Amino acid sequence: MLEVKNLTVCYDTAMLLNEVSLKVNRGELVGLVGPNGAGKTTLMRAISGLVLWERQMKRGTRAGNITLTGEVYFQGQRIDGLPPHRIARMGLVLCPERRRPFSELSVEENLKAGAYRVRGRRAYRDTLELVYQMFPVLQKRARQVSATLSGGEQQMLALGRALMTRPVLLCIDEPSTGLSPLIKGELFAKIGEINRSGITMLLVEQDVRQTLAMAGRSYILSHSKIVAQGKKDELMADETIRQSYLGL
Amino acid sequence: MLANILVTTLVNGAAYAMLAVGFSLIFGVGRIINLAHTAYYMLAGYSIFTLVRVAGLAYVPAMALSILLVTVVAVLCYKLLIDPMREHETTVLIITIALALVFQELMLKYFGGHFRSVPGVAEGSLSILGVQVTRQQAITCAVLAVILAAVWLLLHRTRFGLAVRATAQDMEAANLMGMDVSRIATLTAAVSAALSAAAGALVAPLNILEPHMWLNPLTIILAIIVLGGMGSIKGSIYGAAIIALSESLVIFLIPQGSFLKGAFSLLIMIIVLLIRPEGLFGVALEGER
Amino acid sequence: MIRVWLLRLYRDFKGDILALPGRTLACLAVLALFIAPLFIRDTYILRIITLTAVYAVFAASWDLLSGYVGQLNLGHALFFGVAAYTSAMLNLHLGLPPVLTIPLGALAAVMAGLVVGIPCLRLKGQYLSLATLAFPIILKGLVYLFKEYTGGELGISGISRLAGSRLVECYIALALGAVLCFLIWKITDSNLGLIFHAIREDEITARASGINTTAYKLLAFCLSGLFAGIAGGFFAHYMRLAGPFTLDVLLSFQAIIWTIFGGITTIYGSVAGVIILFPLMEILRAFPEIRMLLFAAVIVIVLRFMPEGVVPWFLDRVEKECPRCKERNAFTRTRCRVCRVSLSEREVRARTTTRA
Repeated sequence: MLEVKNLTVCYDTAMLLNEVSLKVNRGELVGLVGPNGAGKTTLMRAISGLVLWERQMKRGTRAGNITLTGEVYFQGQRIDGLPPHRIARMGLVLCPERRRPFSELSVEENLKAGAYRVRGRRAYRDTLELVYQMFPVLQKRARQVSATLSGGEQQMLALGRALMTRPVLLCIDEPSTGLSPLIKGELFAKIGEINRSGITMLLVEQDVRQTLAMAGRSYILSHSKIVAQGKKDELMADETIRQSYLGL
Repeated sequence: MLANILVTTLVNGAAYAMLAVGFSLIFGVGRIINLAHTAYYMLAGYSIFTLVRVAGLAYVPAMALSILLVTVVAVLCYKLLIDPMREHETTVLIITIALALVFQELMLKYFGGHFRSVPGVAEGSLSILGVQVTRQQAITCAVLAVILAAVWLLLHRTRFGLAVRATAQDMEAANLMGMDVSRIATLTAAVSAALSAAAGALVAPLNILEPHMWLNPLTIILAIIVLGGMGSIKGSIYGAAIIALSESLVIFLIPQGSFLKGAFSLLIMIIVLLIRPEGLFGVALEGER
Repeated sequence: MIRVWLLRLYRDFKGDILALPGRTLACLAVLALFIAPLFIRDTYILRIITLTAVYAVFAASWDLLSGYVGQLNLGHALFFGVAAYTSAMLNLHLGLPPVLTIPLGALAAVMAGLVVGIPCLRLKGQYLSLATLAFPIILKGLVYLFKEYTGGELGISGISRLAGSRLVECYIALALGAVLCFLIWKITDSNLGLIFHAIREDEITARASGINTTAYKLLAFCLSGLFAGIAGGFFAHYMRLAGPFTLDVLLSFQAIIWTIFGGITTIYGSVAGVIILFPLMEILRAFPEIRMLLFAAVIVIVLRFMPEGVVPWFLDRVEKECPRCKERNAFTRTRCRVCRVSLSEREVRARTTTRA
């Protein structure tokens, strides 16, 4: 469904992604783990079109000196070079790092904003129902301004908002950052549930143990390169990978 | 006296509110401090003047045409000059000042520095609850109120409005939700300019036209925005009411000191800011973009 | 002894100034400004040169506060006006000589800096800029209100001159301008400048690192007020007039226009902005009808294509930054003058690829 071929991204003279290739098949939950600064978030931003958008916004400054080479295919269509909103409308949706709710909007308005491209009142109602079923706390807080939610609730909101777009492939960037172990467990359970409901997923995480356990396959990204990929057992079998990248 | 103060406050307040709402719209969505905002207001005035006095159009079609014309000019300016500079916040500041100066000088060149006036739609006056109001004032005030209500509905009850508010909060997240942020920003620039032009066109018959007429309202609406809290429509309206009231108080209570009206309103603004640094209706959030 | 010293001076000159086209040009420009008055007898041109020097200080002081500390001040004319009026009044009513009135005026501007700075400490970002806009307008209202002291619309005139001849005044202005601008540049280059920079980038982080941001922000307001005040007092004595236009919104905007045109957060950019734009404005007097129009159009068009200002744009063309030691190099060099690393972009790319 998603295929990334030799993706290279440079910001000015720093290379953040170096010939990265990966593949996500329909229905899979693919994990992407790696140390800080490996380029995980950059990869997500590149796939969702935000890197090129950033270049467009910052043209004329040094920060706008961004180069992106390689190819990204989604459902057979080439999407590198498309603006982020077009990619989102095709069904590839990124739930961004640090949650990023529309902070002064209420929870319900946030969800409505997620349903921006969903046409028709019926479709909207149904999706909203679904999201509320999955995250009952959002219904309880529907009228509350989203900045006043707790971190866990904000993450639920970000997931709910992403689900409102009716994604085909959902990329989630570091959902568990800053959450208590209890909430974290709940969150991972929800993520598994979303995946079983038929939405393909690419999950970027710091929590290696959880991710490897949940994901069918995982990639390890380090120093802007994919250093290993495979099922949990395959990755764990390799002593060097286990010790130097997974720390397990 | 009291009636006069009230009427002036209402008319000026509504016009200021409209200018301030437009200003804070484009500020919210694009993070653009558009100092040429009130220049559109001036342009609309002159455009009406030309259409009515020179081309001989009636007031209402002239008004519609002026708003359209000014909006087109503003969108062109936005697309060609402001949008490409957006990352350079201070450069946008200068470009918009320079734009306002360009418009001012163009008007000065073609219409000269004299005061001009525009005929209104209605003559005479009527009394509302025992207060004498000229018809023109009443009509202007009513139309301004209707437009303000329409803007509120646009922002809070439509898909476009939701997109505008979402974009103002977090552009990247809005992008990820499938919103075309650059189109939304352009449309917002158009709405903002149209509001400014409409305010200009509506108050043109009540005011005199002159090429420097953009500078005073500019400082006033900046004060209103700060007073009301940035990006808050409700705040803009309350802020406009406060500033307009303080202005009319100065004008009517100390007629020989009416040059103080600007200074007095700004003083009020500073006092409010000392008490509430985020403005009356602003939300103090640690924002990240 | 003297020979060693001279030799070192020569070496510094060659290594630090001649090595970079930007610095060489700046030196030449300053030198030209200092030599030119000797050959010019026309008082009008002398006046332009003098005012250029005064405004250069004014613009640089804006850059110090707004560019470096990030406190975007839209009412910078306040400092200029306060100092101009204070100097004028002290001179006229108390008969103090300019040597005293200018520093005292600057002191008044420092006070104004405190008056503006203290309420503005609570404000952030755009709120701050919009609030600062208000102060000169309020003061202007007061100036009109107390006509008998301030002269109202006409201002205070008939104050004493700085020196006997226009030429001497011009040289005082040039010397003062050069010294003050250099001083401001040195401040931004010092530890203090680093702290200012930190506050602009992230105030909360700066505070968390133990910087008393409140004190430093106030200090920035005062310093900026001091320099702008010196310019203002000088201006009053030179023009022999302190009028309400020294508090004008458009004068505040001028400082912003000059600085951003030249390049914000550089100091030398704001000076260059004044040196280019102020005389340009005078040349445009040849077309009085469309003078402002041409001026505004020039700014719009230039900034449209050089959004970071003229000087950074120019420096980017004639100098390049070493990718390793971040030292600036002339565009003609292929290797960094300090660390000898290759400056060619292709080679840099190739190296990063292999390393990763």
